[in-house]
Amino acid sequence: MSENDERRVLHADFFTENPEPRLIAGKSKSSGNWTFPPYLADPVSFLDDVEHTQLPRNGILHSFTIVRRSLPDFTVPFGLGLIDFPDQKIRVMAQVEADDLEKDLKLGIEVETIVGVVRKAKDGSDIYSYKFRPVK
Amino acid sequence: MANLRDVYIIGVGQTPCGKFPTQAAHMLGREASWAAIKDSGIHARDIEIGFCGHVYQGMGVGQRTLKDIGLVGQPVINVEGACGSGTLSFWEAWRTIAYGQHDVALAWGVENLSKIMSGGPLPLEEDDIEVALGMSMPGLYAMRAKKYMDEYGVSSETLAKVVVKSRKHAAQNPIAQFRKETTIEQVLNDPLIADPLTRSMCCPVGDASAAAVLVDGDTLKKIKRDTSREPIKVLGCIAQSGGYASPTGLTCDPSENVTRTSQMAYEQAGLGPKDIDVVEIHDAFAIAELIVAEALGFAKKGEGARLVEEERSNYDGEIAINASGGLLSRGHPVGATGLLQTVEIVNQLRGEATGYQVPDAKIGLIETMGGAQPAMDGITCVVSILGK
Repeated sequence: MSENDERRVLHADFFTENPEPRLIAGKSKSSGNWTFPPYLADPVSFLDDVEHTQLPRNGILHSFTIVRRSLPDFTVPFGLGLIDFPDQKIRVMAQVEADDLEKDLKLGIEVETIVGVVRKAKDGSDIYSYKFRPVK
Repeated sequence: MANLRDVYIIGVGQTPCGKFPTQAAHMLGREASWAAIKDSGIHARDIEIGFCGHVYQGMGVGQRTLKDIGLVGQPVINVEGACGSGTLSFWEAWRTIAYGQHDVALAWGVENLSKIMSGGPLPLEEDDIEVALGMSMPGLYAMRAKKYMDEYGVSSETLAKVVVKSRKHAAQNPIAQFRKETTIEQVLNDPLIADPLTRSMCCPVGDASAAAVLVDGDTLKKIKRDTSREPIKVLGCIAQSGGYASPTGLTCDPSENVTRTSQMAYEQAGLGPKDIDVVEIHDAFAIAELIVAEALGFAKKGEGARLVEEERSNYDGEIAINASGGLLSRGHPVGATGLLQTVEIVNQLRGEATGYQVPDAKIGLIETMGGAQPAMDGITCVVSILGK
């Protein structure tokens, strides 16, 4: 995020935009195990030696749905997906954008991390966070 | 593990499932609890402790329930474990008796959802990072459905058949919320909630309560009961919280949790899937019946769909799954669900499920699955096995 960023941001600690959008995961120094988001203690080593480390920008779309009915703060329809980072053994749930949700989203495609609007605040303003979109 | 005492269910009660916005949760709870106590034939003052499962019903709902039937002073524990709250309260009652702390316990579950919402997805915890980004239970199960269908070549028609079977069963169940039969075409033509799940592939919003009275074997022999009704034995009862889901499994797979929990319950009961006659599965969404049937050992991985397609899981089939109509049609009043499932299995084992009685049912299994958490295979899973 830039210093003058006035956007309302959700989960700001879990991603960066510099130099490109990437999620920030936790990685245990002793076990090498990754978690997203970072945990307080690593579930493999049970040690609190967790370093905050960036995930690759691109992941694989494990599965997805097009949500047609949701709570009022979300503009439907929107894509919701599970994105795999196989080398880190991490699966992340997040919104997935596409020019055409029905045509562009397919199981197994490569998707990239982006930052965009995920929902509305009670006052109607946009809330930003990490999301994904197919790599073109 | 300590030597556990034998535990029996000696009375059950339930309300209808439906929308009752004028009935507070404790009013539903007292109706089911009183019915269970009357059914047991014991005096209400024999109840030593109560466990009330609920999710959204606020402070002290258990105490508010029992006050209206003369039960005050004894400990009451309010139990929350997402959609598994009802069976988690049953597990609490079972274990306090099995481990010899109490001799007579009441477990009930209650929920009035129509007082807090008219429809749509259940409100989830906003502090959960995925919920804040738009995760809902229909969305999560839709992603599981999409992956499962791709992996095993299952069509939307099969998911629709789950609903058709569910409605057909529920048509005979006097307490079910949806008792009108449906067709594959009607299910598929319903509005999409989250692809590929249509509205009728998702459980309804509703209200209800259900309750059970539990005692140990020695107390059963000596307690004064104004009834000759047959007690039902708890052969196995296991509760497990979610574990870390396999990152390569099927979409934060709840079946990992169900498999783990049911294997422990089978071991405790000294039984296996082939011994089970009637099952209540937590089918909050149509895909869940297929995935959970496999996790419980009634079908191989990827073959749960065939149970439905070949009509082998009808109430008079080789393994009766959700003869009550399950969550899809009987209803899913969240905290009450686990006890509604338990009452259903007791009724089946007693031979009292008129119109949808599973022939010669001797052993029944209840599976309840609650909630979702990032990277985990659920919040709470409870599996119970009951026998005559």
